[in-house]
Amino acid sequence: MHISEIILSPLLALIVGVFFLGLSRKIMARIHWRYGPPITQPVIDIIRMFSQKSVSHGNLFNFGIIFSIAGSIAVVLFIPFGRIHPLSNSGGLLVILYIMLLAPLGIALSSGEAANPNSSIGISRKLLLTLGYEFSLLLILLALMTHYRTISITEIVALQQKGSWSLFRLPLVLPGIAYILILPAILGVRPFEISKAPQEISSGPMVEYGGTYLALAKIEHAFAIVIGISLFVNLFLGGANNLAFFFLKVLLVFILGIFINAVFPRLRTEQAIKYLFGIPAFLAFLGLVITVLI
Amino acid sequence: MDRNKLIKWIKTPAKMGNKYSLHAVYFCTGCGIIEIPPTITTRWDAERFGVTPAATPRQANLFLITGYVSLKTLKSIIRTYEQMPEPKYTVGFGSCPINGGMYWDSYNTIKHLDKYIPVDGWIAGCMPRPEAIFIAVTHLWKMIDNDMADGYKKYRNNYDQYRANQEKVLGSLDWPPLFK
Repeated sequence: MHISEIILSPLLALIVGVFFLGLSRKIMARIHWRYGPPITQPVIDIIRMFSQKSVSHGNLFNFGIIFSIAGSIAVVLFIPFGRIHPLSNSGGLLVILYIMLLAPLGIALSSGEAANPNSSIGISRKLLLTLGYEFSLLLILLALMTHYRTISITEIVALQQKGSWSLFRLPLVLPGIAYILILPAILGVRPFEISKAPQEISSGPMVEYGGTYLALAKIEHAFAIVIGISLFVNLFLGGANNLAFFFLKVLLVFILGIFINAVFPRLRTEQAIKYLFGIPAFLAFLGLVITVLI
Repeated sequence: MDRNKLIKWIKTPAKMGNKYSLHAVYFCTGCGIIEIPPTITTRWDAERFGVTPAATPRQANLFLITGYVSLKTLKSIIRTYEQMPEPKYTVGFGSCPINGGMYWDSYNTIKHLDKYIPVDGWIAGCMPRPEAIFIAVTHLWKMIDNDMADGYKKYRNNYDQYRANQEKVLGSLDWPPLFK
């Protein structure tokens, strides 16, 4: 661990996340047969939002959004990006599983203070969705930890570098497929866009955010994308030895996610929960049983 | 369009950000709603210029009033306008908000929108084509560049007058004054 890595890692995640936000808007536009905004549009948006006067709704409103960004940065520090892994030697998967909840919790605290009915609906949907995928995610991570007999994420990456990717190892195929099936829910893209739903509940938890708060929420969203995908890349696609190769893998998975986002309509809340507790949970459970028996 | 000029971005970041990231609240009161979907979707693609619909007034900085304004919707328009964070720009779309249009002698529509909220620009026509929205946006860019789109400052400075006008047509308003 080097002290510069602690600064470098979140900075890298932020740059890549904001780039991804721009890329997703461009690709979505091309799928719609539009020209689309420039790829720097999220940066322009964030500059505009920071320049606007913002309305606060109380101390918890201010605190929650900062808490959420701090939680995201803490998770980023525990996830290795190629060879950059500031804190990932300590704690491992259990800590990631624990502090991954801080970011949605911060948003929930913050927008709950705004007392807007739309944001309350958005929060309850977001937490329900989190409950839906956390169950499968926990089973998947248990299968991984049982198979590799370690909780360290760097060791899992190193073991995959020696052999094959976890996605192609026999007992881990089923959890891998389950992870792919719940990945859109983790990223919050279209079939599982139930907590945001701009046409339905006016962007849910973000409904009262304006100016600086919206910019911070956008930055948190950029972090969340990078966290969700890089965890998958590290655990199932073998991670990488260098930075460029790692982010190339992340980019490929993200583009796949955009395609899913472009072609699917939004599910209703109960449909999403039914789906998440159906096939992915069953596959993850079966995978865990097979892993334990082998 | 000077979106790619880096020196201008460094000199006046707030102005440039506001120019090229216009998140719009479409207040679709009348027939103007028909012109909005082709503008923001595939045919004319307003997102090229950074103009996208915003889900709530808090996230927006452009307020587009598309059509006649009845007394009932005027109340919502004032509340929406006051909720938007500054700087904010208003554009009246079609002839009805300008002077009443075909509703000029109606008993329940207002004739001049700019008596009640400040309006930075008008798009005349009944109805204007979607291209007119883009012309309006380029005019708005010029106005922002020259500090002429200062409706929100006018609202702040002459709030008593605007409030008096609002109370004249709506009776007593059920929210406290925005500025003291």
